[in-house]
Amino acid sequence: MDEEKIIVCRCEDITLKEIRDLIHEGYTTVEEIKRVSRAGMGPCQGKTCGPIIAREISKITGKPIEEVYKPSNRPPFGGLFFKEIVGESNEE
Amino acid sequence: MKNYDILIIGGGPAGISSALAAAKLNLKVALFEEKEILGGQLVKQTHKFFGSKDESAGTRGIYIAQKLINEVNNKDKIDVFLNSMVLGYYEDGVVTALVKEKMEKFKPKKIIIATGAFEKSLPFENNDLPGVFGAGAVQTLMNVYGILPGKEILMIGSGNIGLIVSYQLAQVGVKVKGIVEISEKIGGYLVHASKVRRLGIPIYTKHTIVKALGDRKVKGAIIENVETKEKKEISCDVICLATGLMPLSDILNQINCKMKYIPELGGYVPVRDENMKTTVENVFVAGDSSGIEEATAAMLEGELAGLYASYEITNTFDKRINEIKEHLKELRKTSSKVVSGLKKLNLYKDFIVDSQKDLGKLHRTGVPEKEMIENIIPKDSNRFAIMECFQNIPCNPCVASCPTNAISMDSLNGIPKLDEKKCIGCGNCVAVCPGLAIFVVDKKKESVLLPYEFLPVPEKGEMVEIMDREGNFLEKNIVLNVRKMKDKTNLIEVKVSKENINNARHIRVVI
Repeated sequence: MDEEKIIVCRCEDITLKEIRDLIHEGYTTVEEIKRVSRAGMGPCQGKTCGPIIAREISKITGKPIEEVYKPSNRPPFGGLFFKEIVGESNEE
Repeated sequence: MKNYDILIIGGGPAGISSALAAAKLNLKVALFEEKEILGGQLVKQTHKFFGSKDESAGTRGIYIAQKLINEVNNKDKIDVFLNSMVLGYYEDGVVTALVKEKMEKFKPKKIIIATGAFEKSLPFENNDLPGVFGAGAVQTLMNVYGILPGKEILMIGSGNIGLIVSYQLAQVGVKVKGIVEISEKIGGYLVHASKVRRLGIPIYTKHTIVKALGDRKVKGAIIENVETKEKKEISCDVICLATGLMPLSDILNQINCKMKYIPELGGYVPVRDENMKTTVENVFVAGDSSGIEEATAAMLEGELAGLYASYEITNTFDKRINEIKEHLKELRKTSSKVVSGLKKLNLYKDFIVDSQKDLGKLHRTGVPEKEMIENIIPKDSNRFAIMECFQNIPCNPCVASCPTNAISMDSLNGIPKLDEKKCIGCGNCVAVCPGLAIFVVDKKKESVLLPYEFLPVPEKGEMVEIMDREGNFLEKNIVLNVRKMKDKTNLIEVKVSKENINNARHIRVVI
């Protein structure tokens, strides 16, 4: 199995190898991995990769999922233009 | 700032049902939907639903969606916001949403979160190749926009979504090369599995995908037996992932609802009470965002949340609330997975689930053992219905369809029993069965009446190919009768020679 050809985070193009290397370096929560690798910071906000990374950490460290993965979200949930908040017309 | 009694996030089956329930009690409702149409996943579900006859069982999801959307449009108490994404919910009770490219503020008394689910992905080599799809995308392309995802497809996952989408792909002429299932048993309802097996689609249990083949797009896949590690190459241009769903919980996380990780319910779910109330004041949840289940459960939960939130505003208790709770219990009577998840939320404490029997070969292949069939063939009758329905599932349309009361069932989750003396072989049950699991055999006439949901529909007198339960060719014979039905499950009566009469289960029109 070529871990470099397995994409875990589709938005930020991060492979299973990168994730496993980080876990072995000592980053053992989804939140930490997100901060060092950007996994989960793209448009889907970690919905695709979060559970996969959590499972990898759990497999390697033996810790339960609930301990290594606690999703937190902040508003706004979606991408937003400034003009949509302040109401100024955008003339391009 | 706009004021509402109840603000609902998500316009799928749960959200719509909440809106209708609250509007019935004359409350002012705002219904938010991110997409351009209401209906959620229902708008792509072309299969007939299981469930009780009282709750749209036997109706196709797309028609349920139409009915619900019409009801919403006829209620002036409901303001529908389409193409409108809710962006956040703040401590002062204000909800912000993007409406017509402008961020607007709303202040509701209660909010109901019915945001549905997100598809789980799967790590395997080259999983970023074009041609790797989620089952939701395949269904949207095919059933909403009329676009084929490809010509040859490999399905990963044999849950209900994997089985149903495979069947739909076959209906539109895509070659389904196989369904891959990692566990030793088929995950979805076995009648759905039998439906795809009849078309000649193999189900590879105890297998997983290890690699997608191809350079710039998918040209095939390598699957592996998880026990023997034996590999098999399958050529295809689409790999479709139907590997499960997880509740969509952005808003629940943002407002600090107490969440619990419960794998049986798909992942993190909000802690809630039996009235769908979360741990945050004035916030309710319904449908898949509270735990992955079927659409029927979502509609009931939505109605329950809508009625209970309304009760907290108006102080009038609708007795339908208790009725819904009973219906939900009946619906979950055989869902051991869902119920064990609910128990972890301290719900359904003393509830006992009917244990599901291991159905042997049927569970592993989608094809029943010869003995199982022989046991249900009436001995002293010439024309009779055969119900190849061996699994306890919440479904009963066949019972009500019988004009002579020949079909009986202990409960909604029971297995239908046929009184051969009363059965007149009319075929009504064949037409209504959502699992396409009933056939009428006539030994004297030497014919089999079967449900047929493919195009073209054969003509009376036409020669067709007759297939068995695994899609193997049995013989060519003549169509005796065609009954075209409004709901598109047509009935075909075909002549079958004596030796094949108990095995003929599908036909193919020769073009």
